Amino acid sequence: MKTFHLTIARVGENLFDGEANAVRLPGTEGVFTVLANHEPTVAELSQGEAYVEAADGQAYHFEVHAGGIAEISSNQATVIL
Amino acid sequence: MALKDIKNQISAKKRTNKVTRAMEAVSAAKMRKTQGSAIAGRPYARAALSVLARLSGSADLARHPLARERAVKKTALVLITSDKGLAGALNSGVIKEAARFVKGRDVNDVIVYAYGRKGEEYFRRRGYAIPEAFENKRDDVPLSVMQELSRKLSAGFLAGEFDEVVAAYSNFRSTFEQVPTLRKLLPLSLEGISRLVSDITPAKGKWSDDAPVASPASYMVEPSPEEVLAVLVPRLVAVSLYHMLLEAKASEHSARMVAMKSASDKSDEMAELLTRKYNKVRQAAITREVSEIVGGREALAS
Repeated sequence: MKTFHLTIARVGENLFDGEANAVRLPGTEGVFTVLANHEPTVAELSQGEAYVEAADGQAYHFEVHAGGIAEISSNQATVIL
Repeated sequence: MALKDIKNQISAKKRTNKVTRAMEAVSAAKMRKTQGSAIAGRPYARAALSVLARLSGSADLARHPLARERAVKKTALVLITSDKGLAGALNSGVIKEAARFVKGRDVNDVIVYAYGRKGEEYFRRRGYAIPEAFENKRDDVPLSVMQELSRKLSAGFLAGEFDEVVAAYSNFRSTFEQVPTLRKLLPLSLEGISRLVSDITPAKGKWSDDAPVASPASYMVEPSPEEVLAVLVPRLVAVSLYHMLLEAKASEHSARMVAMKSASDKSDEMAELLTRKYNKVRQAAITREVSEIVGGREALAS
């Protein structure tokens, strides 16, 4: 499976930084899943949870508060909570 | 000088030495911790900046209220100093930089937000308005204080209480080099943010060779560029402020460590000089006593 580089960061804390297969995020327009080679997107996030499937098969999940932003481009994704 | 006085002085110097050595060790540990959190905060700042940089092409950043330039009449000065002294030239450097900045301005045109007591005292004595003063006692940077300060600054800027926000703090270059720095916080500019991020990008190491990622021609923005900017810009203000506070903290600890190190070295040196003096005086006294005894014997024998 193709992977992409995912960074999830909070102020003063880096939650996830590495290769991932998929991440599911709560956007303000609905929950969406990002896979490798996703279309370049900037999305505002709302209250909910983010599920990460890392390249090594590990699963993580993080709480998301309203006002987070996800940016996806050139096979890498950055989420700031 | 009497022997006893010198002995007292020597033990006083040794006591001082113990204290300064301990403070040096404590500051070194705190410095490492603060540097650690400065590094931990870096990905967030970089990520927020890159989102902003990429959006600035598609949406008009300059239209955001927090980024709009206007004629400057009143200025808010955020002064980040330490609460405690014994940190060498750290605070005086920052205060000097801030004083140079306010020199050409009327006292009534400057509002000071003081983070740390040293700077607060200086500007209060000179009659500046200080609507808010924060304590800088803790060894880390509490997020709550940072958020409160950034909220107040943003609100004041939007309400027109002041037309720009400038921060004076000490930028951490290395353990031996802290540079007093003056930086504009509001109105927010892309250039200002990228300067801040380049400051927190180390010259070598993991992040140093990170070239900016080429931005794709078009983005899908949900829900709309305006709404995303409305969320992002206040966050960038907070992040900028947070980084300044972290830099100031790291500078404080390392400046104190260096100051304590030179104090320890100096007291070591003084103790050594005094010991030498002590031995000389003691030897002189012995020689005198011996020659007195010998002289007395000679007198009796003749």
